[in-house]
Amino acid sequence: MTLFIGASLVALAVVLFILQPVVKGLHASLERDEFELTDTEARKRVALLALRDVEYDFLAEKLDEHDYRSLKAELTAEALAALEADEQAQSGAGADEDELEAEIAAIRAGLGAGSVCDACGFSNEVGSRFCASCGQAVAAEAAG
Amino acid sequence: MNKNGRFMVGLVGVAAVVTYLIWTGVSQTMVYYLTPVELMARVEADPTFHEVGVKVSGQVIKGSYARVQGELLHTFLVMDLVDESVTFPVEWRDALPDTFTDEVEVVLEGRMRADGVFEATTMLTKCGSRYEASPEDLAG
Amino acid sequence: MTILGEFALWIALPVAAWGMALGFMGGRTQRGDLVLSAERAIYAVFFLLILASLGVGAAFLGDKFEYWYVASYSNRELELFYKITGLWAGQRGSLLFWALILAFFSSICVFQNRDKNREFMPYVAGVLQGVLLFFIVVLLFADVNPFERLAFTPVNGQGLNPQLQNYWMTIHPPTLYLGFTSFTIPFAFAVAALLNGRLDARWIQLTRRWILTSWLFLSVGIIFGMRWAYEELGWGGYWFWDPVENASLLPWLTATAFLHSIQIQESRGMLRVWNMSLVLMTFLLTIFATFLTRSGLIESVHSFAQELKIAYIFLGFMGTILAGCIVLILYRLPKLQSENRIESFLSRESAFLFNNLMLLGFAFAVFWGTIFPLVAEWVTGEKISVGPPFFEKVNFPIGLVLLALAGIGPVIAWRRATKRNLRKNFIIPISVLLAVGTTLWFSGARHPLALVTWSICAFVLTIIGIEFWKGTRARARIEGEGYALAFMHLVARNRRRWGGYIVHVAMVMIYFAFAGAAYNVDERFHMLPGDVVEVTSPFGHTYSLTYEGLTVSLGKGDRNLLWQAIAAVSVQQNGKQKPLMTTEKRMYVTGDLPMTEVAIRSTIREDLYLILSALDDMEGAVNADANAQGIDLQVLIKPFVGWIWFGGLMLAIGTFVALWPSVDRRRVALEARSDAAAEPAMAGAAD
Repeated sequence: MTLFIGASLVALAVVLFILQPVVKGLHASLERDEFELTDTEARKRVALLALRDVEYDFLAEKLDEHDYRSLKAELTAEALAALEADEQAQSGAGADEDELEAEIAAIRAGLGAGSVCDACGFSNEVGSRFCASCGQAVAAEAAG
Repeated sequence: MNKNGRFMVGLVGVAAVVTYLIWTGVSQTMVYYLTPVELMARVEADPTFHEVGVKVSGQVIKGSYARVQGELLHTFLVMDLVDESVTFPVEWRDALPDTFTDEVEVVLEGRMRADGVFEATTMLTKCGSRYEASPEDLAG
Repeated sequence: MTILGEFALWIALPVAAWGMALGFMGGRTQRGDLVLSAERAIYAVFFLLILASLGVGAAFLGDKFEYWYVASYSNRELELFYKITGLWAGQRGSLLFWALILAFFSSICVFQNRDKNREFMPYVAGVLQGVLLFFIVVLLFADVNPFERLAFTPVNGQGLNPQLQNYWMTIHPPTLYLGFTSFTIPFAFAVAALLNGRLDARWIQLTRRWILTSWLFLSVGIIFGMRWAYEELGWGGYWFWDPVENASLLPWLTATAFLHSIQIQESRGMLRVWNMSLVLMTFLLTIFATFLTRSGLIESVHSFAQELKIAYIFLGFMGTILAGCIVLILYRLPKLQSENRIESFLSRESAFLFNNLMLLGFAFAVFWGTIFPLVAEWVTGEKISVGPPFFEKVNFPIGLVLLALAGIGPVIAWRRATKRNLRKNFIIPISVLLAVGTTLWFSGARHPLALVTWSICAFVLTIIGIEFWKGTRARARIEGEGYALAFMHLVARNRRRWGGYIVHVAMVMIYFAFAGAAYNVDERFHMLPGDVVEVTSPFGHTYSLTYEGLTVSLGKGDRNLLWQAIAAVSVQQNGKQKPLMTTEKRMYVTGDLPMTEVAIRSTIREDLYLILSALDDMEGAVNADANAQGIDLQVLIKPFVGWIWFGGLMLAIGTFVALWPSVDRRRVALEARSDAAAEPAMAGAAD
């Protein structure tokens, strides 16, 4: 008898627990928490971390100067793009994911922000006037 | 596109090497897995079958186990699980596994010698009966 | 209690079905009340499965032999410990245990995410409930109900197989199950991401921790299994390419591949389809592993059961999941593809990709070797068998490539490695590799596989050592810290990377130990009391083993034990006395033949492993007949085996380091900012 009562109580408790939200209209949140990482923030974080790693690698003498500068230039440009996209997203202008993707892809292909030296192909930092690798003058001002 | 082409080639190359390894691995190391009935049939049909490494599953015949004193040699008879009249003798030159019992099912790897004795190099005893029992077994 | 438990299992069925339906519906219709109900259903199922498990436990503790499961795995004399752990001693209870652990992890997941990742949670809850539902259905309808009763009540149970009455054997299944079941969570998130289209960087960051944790459990579980085999199976081996062993290795391999390739996805946005597939594959392989050990389809030392019904059910489930996920991935293909390409063959991306291919190749070989006999039989009718020779032949080369990559990966540059970069970072390690190889050769260690393995081990250790050294030195200089402090801070600042390096070191230790098998010594002796034998270790020293004699003890307090025959062997190493070793035969109440307990003496260099293979005259020995003391003693020397267990420990440490949470500074800053913003917001809300 006690078994029957116990079992019924368990069943009842479980059913009530589960049905309560539907019956009483209790809602679980489905919105993104405002402190959560958005996609643009996630990319920004990754870009900044990559920059930090490059600094450490250079200081730990894993990268020589040439590679360091080249890599740093690329990563800085990417980080800037990511920061920009994130700012846009946060201010509600709505970052277009595809645009961001395209921009980063373009940077990685050597176009866009940051200047590529015509003579030696070295990827220079944004705003450079002379190529850090071969010394030739670099094409006009970089965008961004 | 050139870069991509090269990568596809690389990918396919790696896959090819692995496949080749697996292919030769299987063909060089696989052994037939036979019942005593099948083994005897093969041996009768093809005398050179004595050279071939095989795996046989069967059951040890109760009372057939003997240990040769002074040597590390155990002998017993194995019978087919279905047709119990088909049997052959086995020589085993290693330590007996703990799970070896009088009527245990065994899986032996080795070869059938010309003199009709099976020289086993590996022996697996089937632990099946130890892990699962049919309810009837508990009726005792 | 047991009947209540059975009842709870039945209630869990509609609850799980409800939860699954509502999770998916709530996600689709964006209705928070349905979602809340679905999440509560997960807690409810967990609660019910706890009741069910307690029910089984109560049946064991109460010696309720009318239950088939209890009668099969227990008896009155069984030690309390094994009655308590009887839940996972056999197939049926194991399935319930599995469901329980999955429900546990699901509850944690839902609780952890009650305030975050809300866009994913409805579908996550739905998927988790779906898997739980599957297991409950199997338990109730596939003839594997642990609550099944016999038509009569046996007086006593059959007892537990003595080989299972061992500490490691009791710990090993739970740790493996923890690994298998926890992979369901990342899988659920992956499916949720496919369903809601949020396929960006976030779902990886969310699931990384879970995957790492699952991987840790699985690694530890596999190593525990190896330890059990080594101690208990009495052959001195620790891996047999047994189908069940292989089954647990497969998801480990794909999970390792995933852990590595998500780094590429994170930093370069590539390999998204690949990563989705890896998560899916890993989950399916964990189900496959469950299926393999529960369906008896492949003969194995482990196989629990012979029923075919359950085989069909599992295959059906796996097939459905596979088909469903393929459809989902194809549907989302546009969003998953990225424009980025690998720039150069010589780059870290390339090394990682190659690493993945090797891991998958390894897994494919293991998978194929395991199921080939089945397939061949189905196709040709011929029964064939594929054993260790196959696995060794195929996997050793792949394994060595993987080992080398564990060294190459960390230092080769991202994007494109220049000749300078290669020279700078590899010249010393390669020199060390060659130096070690040459030294080994000239010192007589010429076994090719061992030589190559140890040389590559040196290569990897050198690379990682230099990494740690350079990093510590750089940090010490910049921050002006002492080296010890610099080292700790270095690791703390980038736990993932350095934790990963520690794991690589652990793998080196394990490979190092594996290669030692090339120099195993195996000798057998027949001995009478007083006999002395000498065995020489590959390291040059000699053991003198004196068989002191047999002592027999009857019963000895353990109610399941009939007698123990203990052979004492005193050991001298190059003349120096070492501790006494004992190896024994034990006869259990439920056994037909005695079990062997081996003696192991572990040192850094090798294990001395003694096996009492046979008693000349068992009856005489038990009756303390002085003439019946002859024994067959097998002596094994296993170089470096202890390094496997030590490597396992390092692996756990490294993973912990990688897992350790770091304070999210941004979140703290945001919270501070929001406190200030809260007041005007609240004022605004009054409108």
